[in-house]
Amino acid sequence: MVSMRALKMGLCAALCLSAIACGGGGGSSSNNGPPPPPPPPPPTNNTASVIVDAGPSNASVNTLFTSVTICVPGSTTSCQTIDHIQVDTGSYGLRILAPVLTSALTTLPIEKLANGNSLAECTQFVDGFSWGPIVTADFQIAGETAKSVPVQIIGDPRLTNIPSECSGTGGTEEDTVSSFGANGILGIGPFELDCGDCDTATHGLYFACATSCTDTMVPANQQVPNPVTHFAADNNGAIVMLPSVAAGGASNVTGSLIFGIDTQTDNASGTETVLTVDDNAQLIVDFNTQTLAMSFIDSGSNGIYFADTNISLCAAPPNDPTSQIVNFYCPASTLTLPITIQGVNGTMTNNLTFGVGNTETMLNSNFDAYPQLAGTLPAGNAGSFDYGLPFFFGKRVAVAVQGAMTTAGTGPYIAF
Amino acid sequence: MPMFPSIDFKRAALGAAVLIAALLPHVASATLGQPEITVQSDAAQTHAAIKSSEDRTAYRVHEIQLPSGTLMREFVAPNGNVFAVAWQGPTRPDLRQALGQYFDAFASAPRGKFSDRRHVQIQQGDLVVQSGGHMRALTGRAYLVSAIPSGVNIGDLH
Repeated sequence: MVSMRALKMGLCAALCLSAIACGGGGGSSSNNGPPPPPPPPPPTNNTASVIVDAGPSNASVNTLFTSVTICVPGSTTSCQTIDHIQVDTGSYGLRILAPVLTSALTTLPIEKLANGNSLAECTQFVDGFSWGPIVTADFQIAGETAKSVPVQIIGDPRLTNIPSECSGTGGTEEDTVSSFGANGILGIGPFELDCGDCDTATHGLYFACATSCTDTMVPANQQVPNPVTHFAADNNGAIVMLPSVAAGGASNVTGSLIFGIDTQTDNASGTETVLTVDDNAQLIVDFNTQTLAMSFIDSGSNGIYFADTNISLCAAPPNDPTSQIVNFYCPASTLTLPITIQGVNGTMTNNLTFGVGNTETMLNSNFDAYPQLAGTLPAGNAGSFDYGLPFFFGKRVAVAVQGAMTTAGTGPYIAF
Repeated sequence: MPMFPSIDFKRAALGAAVLIAALLPHVASATLGQPEITVQSDAAQTHAAIKSSEDRTAYRVHEIQLPSGTLMREFVAPNGNVFAVAWQGPTRPDLRQALGQYFDAFASAPRGKFSDRRHVQIQQGDLVVQSGGHMRALTGRAYLVSAIPSGVNIGDLH
């Protein structure tokens, strides 16, 4: 693996040598002329492939996956490539399920706090929590590398005593591949860290573990970061590019995950709509005469979630009276609904619509990707419109990290 | 028609709650289906403070600011029992305490087809839990269907 810095140094050396050669040439310009300039260094491959498929649990829908390689810090041989890592613009940080790791990767070094305690995290997702230590690992994807980056290992057998403060947050414990629905998750949302102020406050997220684990503050450099921000270059954000998907659904939809914005020719900004997000990565959605200020665009949501009492909900099948399908929409025919998304910078989308299909039909069709999968948000989440992976189909969506300065704007933003 | 015994009682109760909050910063949240605000002798876990208390038609709301940054609301019926809790913030509150005997029903609720990491809408017997959001911004609520006082708009419980 040749780093950008080594390439730059090599280029510099080549230029210096040619300058000396030219300077010593005197007036003998009659023969071959100056030597041709050296070729520019090859750009770092900044593009990973992504896929929407059924995932390791063979039950995922509208879930975007990629493959990553992690190595023991400093090693180029103790490495493992892991497929079916979920690509999530609604979270921050790389998390790997311990059971998929083999040999040397099972003993990645656990981060130690100043007092010698081991660092662990209770990651809270809406539906549950994932517990495990924070290790350091070298992270590679496409041609990009982040050295010694904090990564959570979920369900690590070296640290299994889940503190009651963690399990007490409720929901499902998601510490196995089947309960997690992926081999890991790559959080590339528009902020650097998964907590924000855990260096000065405790939130029940990070824990210091000796014989038992207690809630702790953590220096920012030991918190789990969006690993893109640790790349040598191409580190100001990422772009998700997916093809359009037939209204009725499709399987094995493939696309690209491009790192960096305006750092190479393939990630240049153009005339996209730039929507700045607030401190909680939220946007304002105008829908159905409602102004929903806690809305978000999120590859980690599998559908389009919003409240609209005018659209029929699905009925539970007679053989499954507790089916969750009752929380999804089942219009008699596909609906096309207008929506306006507004950034906190005031920029608004134009002429945007989305489709709402019949979820029961989808349930019976066994595809992996459904651009019109839509469900309710409960009234308790009034004020939100959760536009999940269907937003990304047929688009090139850039997620710029807070502080990123691109030709399109300043992060945090989402542009498309 | 007074839902609570009297305005004076309400003021007294509210005053007492605020006084308790002022005197003892370690106030724990109450539990679904149980009497409202109890001062926890073991304050080690929830260093919470009552931020405000408000009487609405048919119920009372206590707003509790948790040290984690999460705002929690407890909804108290005229009989004095908590019938709903709601939260909004970077992390969930201690739901083991807030849900009490109903906690396990949430923890063990089956995941449906088409589930993801961003939504929970379950009903397990009398308990309803609904939650949404994303990392660093979680919202949710839990309530007991049978305990909701008449005249309450469920949409207001957030």
